[in-house]
Amino acid sequence: MTDFGSRLNRRTLLKGSAATLAAYSVSPMLIGRAQAQGADLANVHEYAAATAKELAGGRSITLTILQPSGSLGNVKPVADEFTKATGINFDYVEVPMGEINQKVLLEAVSKSGAFDLALPATFGVPDMVESGILVNLDEYAKKHQPADYQTDSLFTVGDYYKGSLYGYQTDGDTYLMFYNKAWLEDEAEQKGFADATGMTLQVPETWEELDAMMAWFHRPDEGKYGGALFRTQYFIAWEWWGRFHAKGFYPFADDMTPQIDNDAGVAALEELIAASKHQYPGARTNGLFENFEAYGEGDKFANIGWGGTQKYLHSDKSKMKDQMAFGNMPGGMVDGQLLRTPYFNWGWNYVVNAQSTEPEIAYLFSLFACSPAMSTIAVRDPAGYFDPTRPAHYSDQSISDTYSASFLEAHRASMKDSIPDLYLKGQGEYFDELRVAIAAADSGTKTAAKALSDCASAWTRINRRMGRDSQQEQWLFLKSKYPSDVRDRLK
Amino acid sequence: MSEDVKNQTGGDDTIAPPASRRRLIPFNVALVLPAQLTVMAVVVVPTLIVLWLALTDWQPTQGVPWWQADMIWFWNFVDLWYDERFTNAVWRTLFVVAVCIVIELALALGLALLFVEEWWWKRVAVSIIILPMMIIPVDAANAFFMLFNDLGPINHLISIVTGEPFQFSWLSHPTGAMVPIMLCEIWQWTPLMFLMVLTGLMSLPQNQVRAAIALGASPARIFRRIMLPLLSPVIGIAVLIRSIETFKIFDPVYILTRGQPGGATETISMYMYNGAFVYFRMGYIAAAALIVLVLVVSICLAMSRSLKRYS
Repeated sequence: MTDFGSRLNRRTLLKGSAATLAAYSVSPMLIGRAQAQGADLANVHEYAAATAKELAGGRSITLTILQPSGSLGNVKPVADEFTKATGINFDYVEVPMGEINQKVLLEAVSKSGAFDLALPATFGVPDMVESGILVNLDEYAKKHQPADYQTDSLFTVGDYYKGSLYGYQTDGDTYLMFYNKAWLEDEAEQKGFADATGMTLQVPETWEELDAMMAWFHRPDEGKYGGALFRTQYFIAWEWWGRFHAKGFYPFADDMTPQIDNDAGVAALEELIAASKHQYPGARTNGLFENFEAYGEGDKFANIGWGGTQKYLHSDKSKMKDQMAFGNMPGGMVDGQLLRTPYFNWGWNYVVNAQSTEPEIAYLFSLFACSPAMSTIAVRDPAGYFDPTRPAHYSDQSISDTYSASFLEAHRASMKDSIPDLYLKGQGEYFDELRVAIAAADSGTKTAAKALSDCASAWTRINRRMGRDSQQEQWLFLKSKYPSDVRDRLK
Repeated sequence: MSEDVKNQTGGDDTIAPPASRRRLIPFNVALVLPAQLTVMAVVVVPTLIVLWLALTDWQPTQGVPWWQADMIWFWNFVDLWYDERFTNAVWRTLFVVAVCIVIELALALGLALLFVEEWWWKRVAVSIIILPMMIIPVDAANAFFMLFNDLGPINHLISIVTGEPFQFSWLSHPTGAMVPIMLCEIWQWTPLMFLMVLTGLMSLPQNQVRAAIALGASPARIFRRIMLPLLSPVIGIAVLIRSIETFKIFDPVYILTRGQPGGATETISMYMYNGAFVYFRMGYIAAAALIVLVLVVSICLAMSRSLKRYS
C-alpha cells in the first residue's frame, strides 16, 4: 500500500464524507452570517431582523419597551416592521417624559426585568451605566454592527460611556434658533438697527448680536417682543451652557475643578440676565408647549428649541409657518475668531436592560430601529418627536415636508458640530444646582458671581461624592469627543 | 422516677414551670407585647435604618443593597452644614409655619367668636367654612395655580380694582411666589384651626363669663381676661398640631412652583423630595431628615412644655 493508500482507509473516507456533507449543509448559514456581518448600512435592518429571527428559533418572544409618553408614533411603526420580519412581538410601557430616567434607574433596585429595552433621555445614560442597569453593547456591536453604522449618525457621543457602547441615539435633539424672517428682512429695520448698533441685521452668529437684536425688537407697547427664550428654571441652564462654551471654556478643568464660576461664566450669566428684559411676559412661567404656542403667535423675534418646536411652528396651528429663518445656537468671538458651539442637549437612546432575558435580541432590535431605513420611518411620524440623526433622514421627502428644507439645512449643520451635554454620572444633580443658581441670579436673589460660586462649590461636593477619579476618567473621555475644531479652542 | 413512669406521665414537659419562670412574662406584659413589638417594627426599626443610612452615601442606583453601603461617617452632616439650599429650606419652612399659623389662628379665633352663639343657619355656615379642608390638597393647589397665573383672575381683579393694567408674575417672582403658596395653605387649613377653637370656646365654663357680664365688663375685656386664658390650652394644642402639619408643607409648593425660581420657594419637604426621589440620594436625605426631626421635636417639646406650664 502506498502512503496515500495507507491513509485513505474506510474510516477516513467516511469521516471525510461526513465532514463534506456537514459543510454543505451548514454553508448557507455561514455564508449568510458572513454576508450579514459584511452587510452594508443600507441593509443592516434586514440583517438585524434575520439574526434576531434565527436567535429566537421559533420561540414566542415578546419584548417590552419602556418609553417616554408621546413617542409611540415613532416607535410602533418600526416595531411593527420588526414583528413582520421576525414574529417577535412588543409590549409598550409609556411613562411621563420627565420621569423615564427615574423609572429606568429604579430597575437597579427592583431588578424586575419588567422591560427589555428602554428609551431614556441621553443625559441619564451615565447614571444608568454606573448603577449596572444597562448591558454593555461592545461585544454585540463587534458581532453585528456594520463598520460605518455609528460614523453615519451625526451625533453619537451620548451612546458611549468611558469608551464603551451602551445605546443608540434615536433623536436629533440639537438646540436651534428660530427668527422672525419678515422682521429680519425689513429694510427699515435693517437700516435702523445698523444705525443704532453698527451691526448687520441678519441671522446672528454671536450671542452679542442676538442680544442686540432682541433688545432692538423688544417693543411691548407695540405688542412686539424681542424673544421667547426660556426663562423657567428647568430650561434656563441650557442657554447659559451655550453662552459659556461660546466664551471658550469647558465647564471643568482636566482635574475636575469647576470652571463655571470664572470671569467668562459670570459674564455669560450677566448677559443672559440682561437678555431676560427682552423676552415676552410668559417666558418665566411657560413650559415647552406653551413656548411653541407663544412663538407661534408671530409677535416675537427669536426663539430657541428643537425639531419638535419646528414641527409645531411649521404646522397650520402657527402663524410663523414659512415665516422663519433658522440658525445654530449663536457662538462667540474668542481670540478674534468666531467660535461656534451648537449644543446637543436632549435626545433619546435605545438601551438594553441588563435584566432582560433576551439581551441580544433586544440589542438587535435597537440596531434595527436606528438603522437608516427604519429610523427614517420613525422620524417621519409628524406627531412624534424623534428628529433627524442620519443623512438619509434629510433626503426623505416626507421628513422634509414635516420640517421644511431650510430648517433641515440648519439642523444638519448643528447636529454635525454639536458639543455634548454633560454626560457624567450625576448629570441631574450637577444641572439641578446649575439651574437653581442661574434662576436665582436671573430672578435677582443672588448676584451672578455668588450664584455661580455657590454652584461651583456644590459641584465640587458632587465630584467628591461621585468619586473624583471615576468622574475624571469620563470627563476626559467626553472632552475628547467634543467636535475637533471646538476642542482645539476651548480652555 | 423510673423511665416508665416518665413516659406514662409525658416526661418533664408536663411538669409545670417553677413560679420564678412563670413570672418572666407577666400576663399584663404579654397583653401589650404584640402592640409594643409592632411599634418597634414600624418606628424603631425604620429609625435605626435612617440612622444607618445617614452615615452612608447610599443611593439605590449604586446597585448595592443599603446594608452594604460604604460608611462615610459624618460627611453627610458636614455637607448639609455647607448646603445653603438645605439651610435656606429649613429657615423658609419655619417662616411659612410662623406666618401661616399666626394668620390661621387670628382668622379661626375671629370666626369661632362669630359662631359661639346659636343662630338659625349656623350649621350650614359651619359646613361651608370647613369645605376647603375636605378638598384634596393637590386640587386646592391647582386652583391657586390657576388663580395666580400671569393671565389668571387675580391679576385681572387687581387691574379692575386699581383701574391700571396689572401684570405680575406671582409664580416666578422670588418673594411673590410665596404669597399664593401660603394663601393656599391658610385657605385650606384655617377651617381645622377654626373647628378646634370653636370646640374650645363652646366648652368654656360660662359662670365666669356671666359674672363678668353682670359686673359690667366689656366684651373685649371678657374675651381678653377670661375667655382667652381659659382657651389657651386648646389654642396651644391647635397651634402645635398645625405647626407640625405646616412644617411638612408640600402639595402647594410642588404644584405652584416646585421650589422655583432659584430655590426661592423650596421648603424642606420639597428639598427632600428632590433629593430622595429625583436624585435618589437616600443617605444624604436621611441625614437631613434626622436634623429636621431633631429640630421639630425640640420645637414641639418647647411648645408643649410652655403649654403645660401655662395650663
